[in-house]
Amino acid sequence: MGDKMNTSRASLFSLQRFWRWEASGILVALVALALLLSIATDNFMSSYNISAVARQAAFVGLVALGQTLVLMVGGIDLSVGAAAGLSAIVGSIALTQWGIHPWLIVPFTMGFGLLIGAINGAFVAGLRLNPFIVTLATWEIFAGLTLVITGGYPIRPLGEAFGVFGKGEIFGVPVPVVIFLVAGAILIWVLGQTRFGRNIFALGGNRDAAVLAGIRVRWVEFAAFALAGMFAALAGILYASRMDAGQPSVGEGWLMGAITAAILGGTSLRGGQGSIVGTILGALLLAVLANGTVLLNVSGFWQRVIVGAVVLVAVLVDLLRRRSN
Amino acid sequence: MPDPIFEARNISKRFGPVRALNEVSIAIGAGELHSIIGENGAGKSTLMNIFCGRLRPDTGALLIDRQPVHFSSPKQAAAAGIAIAPQEINLVPALSVAENIMLGAQIGARICGGAVIDWKATRAEAIRHLHEVDDQIDPASRVGDLSKAQQQLVQIARAAATDARILILDEPTATLTHRETARLFDYIRSFKARGHSIFYISHRLDEVKALSDRITVLRDGALAGTLDPATATREEMVTLMAGRPPSAMRQEPRRIPGDAPVVLKVTGLTRPGEFQDLSFSLRKGEILGVSGLIGSGRTEMAKCLFGLTRATAGEIEYFGQKTRFTSPLQAIQAGLIYLPEERKQEGIFPLLSIVENAAMPSMARFRGLLAMRNREMLAEVMDYIALLKTRIGSPRDAITTLSGGNQQKVIIARWLMRDAKVLIMDEPTRGIDVNAKFEIQAVLRRLTEERGLSIILISSEMEEVLDVADRILVMHEGRARGIVDAAGESQESLLKLAMT
Repeated sequence: MGDKMNTSRASLFSLQRFWRWEASGILVALVALALLLSIATDNFMSSYNISAVARQAAFVGLVALGQTLVLMVGGIDLSVGAAAGLSAIVGSIALTQWGIHPWLIVPFTMGFGLLIGAINGAFVAGLRLNPFIVTLATWEIFAGLTLVITGGYPIRPLGEAFGVFGKGEIFGVPVPVVIFLVAGAILIWVLGQTRFGRNIFALGGNRDAAVLAGIRVRWVEFAAFALAGMFAALAGILYASRMDAGQPSVGEGWLMGAITAAILGGTSLRGGQGSIVGTILGALLLAVLANGTVLLNVSGFWQRVIVGAVVLVAVLVDLLRRRSN
Repeated sequence: MPDPIFEARNISKRFGPVRALNEVSIAIGAGELHSIIGENGAGKSTLMNIFCGRLRPDTGALLIDRQPVHFSSPKQAAAAGIAIAPQEINLVPALSVAENIMLGAQIGARICGGAVIDWKATRAEAIRHLHEVDDQIDPASRVGDLSKAQQQLVQIARAAATDARILILDEPTATLTHRETARLFDYIRSFKARGHSIFYISHRLDEVKALSDRITVLRDGALAGTLDPATATREEMVTLMAGRPPSAMRQEPRRIPGDAPVVLKVTGLTRPGEFQDLSFSLRKGEILGVSGLIGSGRTEMAKCLFGLTRATAGEIEYFGQKTRFTSPLQAIQAGLIYLPEERKQEGIFPLLSIVENAAMPSMARFRGLLAMRNREMLAEVMDYIALLKTRIGSPRDAITTLSGGNQQKVIIARWLMRDAKVLIMDEPTRGIDVNAKFEIQAVLRRLTEERGLSIILISSEMEEVLDVADRILVMHEGRARGIVDAAGESQESLLKLAMT
């Protein structure tokens, strides 16, 4: 009986396989929305607008990449926005006061993000505390420290040499977008081809089985949280570079955007399932939605209502997809 | 006896107040298949979990090749050559068969010190191990899409893939078909022929007798005896397992009068993929046993009758009325109750007291003007506790202070308080020790006689169904294979009915 099922599945052409893919729904939605906007507005498809949308997607998208890892191991990181803010401030101080070379600031800040992400990881993986509570607490701590350090004032200017990371372009593509796509590509490779990546799927899919298979589940969990901190820090410092200022408000609103992007992309909140491509598309969809409301002269206040509605539709589509499978 | 390659000496293990293992010593030689049998709760799983590094013994020692070893994780046990295929499915459903088999043991490519996976080699290795056990499963399919039996086989292939020299198989055949079982036995023989050893746990005593080189019986966490499979009889094994001869634990066969009113009549009930064309009737005061393997559709049928799922075809007559419950609440209000198999997950409220657990669905009856009429509630609960001969400390204690058997009785009390007319019980005695099991079986009989309760008893243990039920519905792969009177049937005749 098993054979029959397999052969019939294989003989069906790949539409079914496409539909089984977590990110299929979002890809269709993104294409449809882009088509709609290019018909309804004159300037959606202009190169200036496209690069603006992509840059907007890059910041939240980078945070969402790290969040995806955490969600896939069955956790959640509420502190990513605040971690981005704190890291951006520390990076800005390192640049302006400690005299670290502008080219080293990005790796330095990523290292700092890795460190504060590791704090979350130590509590969650090491002490087996609930990630929701741990990161709720560190969210407050990171956000509070940002204000303590800055007194609420931005650190500026960061200087022309450093501005290239946020404002520069490579062959017409904004640098943050390039970094976002490269980071995404690396993660796709890590999740698909490395032991660490497969262990993330195993841990999120069935923790007991992972333990029995001799996987060091705590280390994997710890690493996922540390990486989430690193990606948040990367997004934060690139944003500071773009703004030419380390503002205390960097990262506000990124948490929800990051979780939304991951979920839109098919990442399961229960862990074990997710796709980096989906998260990238999810971040793009959010940016296109925001851009679309502006181009169509819809009041900015409606934007959040629309995003919320899109998430609900995405969840419904996902439900149908899983039922039909 | 050949020289032991693995030995456990005086292993003891406690879980809180419960002594799970008491001074157990066991050894296995190269190329030997050593069966461990015992009732549920006898300590077999605890012992095996110690062997494979999932648990650590409180006292006692493990020796490999006469050298003491200590396992603090399954990984260390695997490195020492011990692997387990546990009874419960422990795989990652979203990943492929091949990946599950090689989980944590993927073959690394030469770059980056093995951190990068060589998928081609990994897959080939997985397929090699899979084909030793079964050649029908597609290694590329998702584990979540496989049947329970196939998942069991993947799990065995997983254990084999660790290149173990001692394999622990815990109820490997519980869900397998004849063909798959035969194929598995071939593998077991070839594994032994390589000089490797197997600890084999099974409830199927004929299997144990046929495969084993040695049989050890555990009872209540201690060694009850060792048997030679060449001479041991089924009767001897059961007597050792239970601590008394099987005849002392039988309910008297009885016959339900043909004029007893039919309380539940099911005709042609179908839910595609779960069960097809089921028809049976249940009389007042009758116990209808439902026998069949896990995955035969028994639980699915129960959930459907209870209104948890919808049938696509067929009719249900309840006390002469055509009925189709669309929610558990409707069924409960009509007096049809389903007691799920997973008592811990779906049956009890672990943080609440015995009284609250028993009275939970009947709370509305004890509503006072301002507060609950707690004294009346307590009095009624205590009546049922006494009726069911439940052994409790204080009724205000948490339900988790009770043994499994007594918890089950509290749950039965819960539904008697709600005026249950038909009880559907799914594996009511699983994980309960032998004597408590016997008591519950007696209680079920008594309830049907004294209170006119009708019971559908779903059980994988054919012995239980044969002992307690009046008639038996035999199911296999979602279909009814027949309804027979319990008197005059044997385990063999039931198996034959299920499989042919």
